[in-house]
Amino acid sequence: MILSLAWKNIWRNKKRSLIIIVATALGLWGSLLSGAIWMGWGESMVDTAISRDLAHIQIHKPGYAQNKEIINYIPDGFQILKETQNLPGIAAVSGRTLVEGMAASPTSTFGVKIVGIVPAQAKTVTDIYKRLIEGEYFPDGGGRNPVVIGRKLADRLGLKLHSKIVLSFQDLDGSLNYAAGKIVGIYKTESSLFDQSNVFMRQADLFRLLNTKPLIHEIAIRAESARIMPQVYAAVKANYPQLAVHSWKELAPEVAYTSAAMEAFTYIFIGIILFALLFGITNTMLMAVIERFRELGVLIAVGMKKGRVFTMILLETILLSITGGVAGIVIGAISIVYLAHAGIDLTALASGMETFGASTVLRPFLPLDMYIALPIMIVITASLSAVLPAWKVIHIQPSEAIRTY
Amino acid sequence: MSLIELHDLCKTYNTAAVPVRAVRNVSLQIEKQEFTAIVGPSGSGKTTLLNLIGGLDKPTGGSIFVEGKDIATLKANDLIDFRLHHIGFVFQAYNLIPVFTAKENVEFIMLLQGVSKAKREQRALELLESVGLGDRVNSFPTQLSGGQQQRVAVARALASRPSFVLADEPTANLDSHTAGALLDMMAQLNREFEMTFIFSTHDPRVIKRAHRVVTLEDGAVKSDIRQNEAAEGTE
Repeated sequence: MILSLAWKNIWRNKKRSLIIIVATALGLWGSLLSGAIWMGWGESMVDTAISRDLAHIQIHKPGYAQNKEIINYIPDGFQILKETQNLPGIAAVSGRTLVEGMAASPTSTFGVKIVGIVPAQAKTVTDIYKRLIEGEYFPDGGGRNPVVIGRKLADRLGLKLHSKIVLSFQDLDGSLNYAAGKIVGIYKTESSLFDQSNVFMRQADLFRLLNTKPLIHEIAIRAESARIMPQVYAAVKANYPQLAVHSWKELAPEVAYTSAAMEAFTYIFIGIILFALLFGITNTMLMAVIERFRELGVLIAVGMKKGRVFTMILLETILLSITGGVAGIVIGAISIVYLAHAGIDLTALASGMETFGASTVLRPFLPLDMYIALPIMIVITASLSAVLPAWKVIHIQPSEAIRTY
Repeated sequence: MSLIELHDLCKTYNTAAVPVRAVRNVSLQIEKQEFTAIVGPSGSGKTTLLNLIGGLDKPTGGSIFVEGKDIATLKANDLIDFRLHHIGFVFQAYNLIPVFTAKENVEFIMLLQGVSKAKREQRALELLESVGLGDRVNSFPTQLSGGQQQRVAVARALASRPSFVLADEPTANLDSHTAGALLDMMAQLNREFEMTFIFSTHDPRVIKRAHRVVTLEDGAVKSDIRQNEAAEGTE
């Protein structure tokens, strides 16, 4: 009955309550949507980095990160590749042979990383094959030494599809090798830095050019889902203590940090909005209390304990805020779901977005825990808003309040 | 033991200018089932005395015993609890909860007492029936006339099964006919339920029906006259 009284009291001054409900709803809607855009951006950076090259987990020979020489390949790499394929929670694995070298055209030269892959295997872990803007991804009968390069590198070297590209690199003996390849595909990702420095070749061709037995420097692993990635990472690390196992967060801490920062900014922004609303709600409730001064005095006079009156005012404030909050969350969720489906086209800002390695089509995203945290934040805000009005109430002297008109 | 005993009761308000002695050394005994009117000119201390008896204000001197308990010594929360269980209030301006129906207004007091829903619903309906509002139980205060609202207020005052009812100028806002009907009803409740009523009033109709008339002047008892009960029911 006290809950019912609190709810009915809210609607005694419909206009005033609606103003604060609409203000709360709009404030939350705006902050949720902008937060979702930031977080969508952060997620986009993470997703593109994982799908482009990082995968969820990578295995290297210890010290490879510091010295990326060809001799630092993974001992028994193919055996480990086979084993990891069968570990639980792993969706796909891809072995990569990595060689630092130079790419040259008749007009220019550029330092690159030559990535030797098994195309069918690489497709299951990363999605460079989806990013081709010209040509094909290692087509059957693609000729001798087919190569897939990035748009940025092609532009820098002045090369086109089907052009010849000369790659130079050291083999296991330290001798310098030259090999001519034919550009069969040109890709473009969100990162121009990646596009200008990664050249893809078939592993078999690279082994032939290196004149070496099959060897791999990197095993890229994709977990079945991002959610189970930490468990998979722990299992792989435990299985291969002799190797360097890294998660994408360790490999690209700046991406992980940016994603975490986006989430933190969202909470801070929502906190600021709620803090501003706190004053509006306090003002509304103070007015409501002052208007009902006599009535509240009567309630205390007839036997309602001050603690109960305090609770009633607290409930009124919470109900008022929650009504606005729920409306804001619902409108926000609908907007986010719609925009996540439709996407926000930021092609006009493409160059800026590429600098951050984010997709030009932004899909707002808000994690489920934020939908749980928000009502809690609203209840805390409402409770703080109720302190001053409720404080006034518990200091009412019924004998004075009854005679107030 | 009397229902209410006031011993040398004083109340002084310390205003900025000079202390105001609103009640001066009042000593009274009010018995069960009395129909008492406290009268006097404006500023004579009627409302202050009623507030003191009702535990809405603390005396600056003397004592107030209700059913043998000195309510002046009770702590704030205990006093609220005492009012809830022992005192019914009827105010000049009715003071019903506007968002509740007549039935809910009556029920609310019993909710505070912790009475079960079924019992409080039943009693609320009985009380509204007894004050002649059996057909208006679901009406909101704004849908009722002043007299009807005051009847709901009386039903609310009785809902807690109090020891006595304090009515502060209950007929002041009512027309002559409505005030007469309300007094008839209160007199009937006084007879049938042995309910003690204490009024502060200027209204000669209330004074005429009272068993006892206590007249205050400058906060002190000027006269205390017991009247013939035969005056009841005449209007």
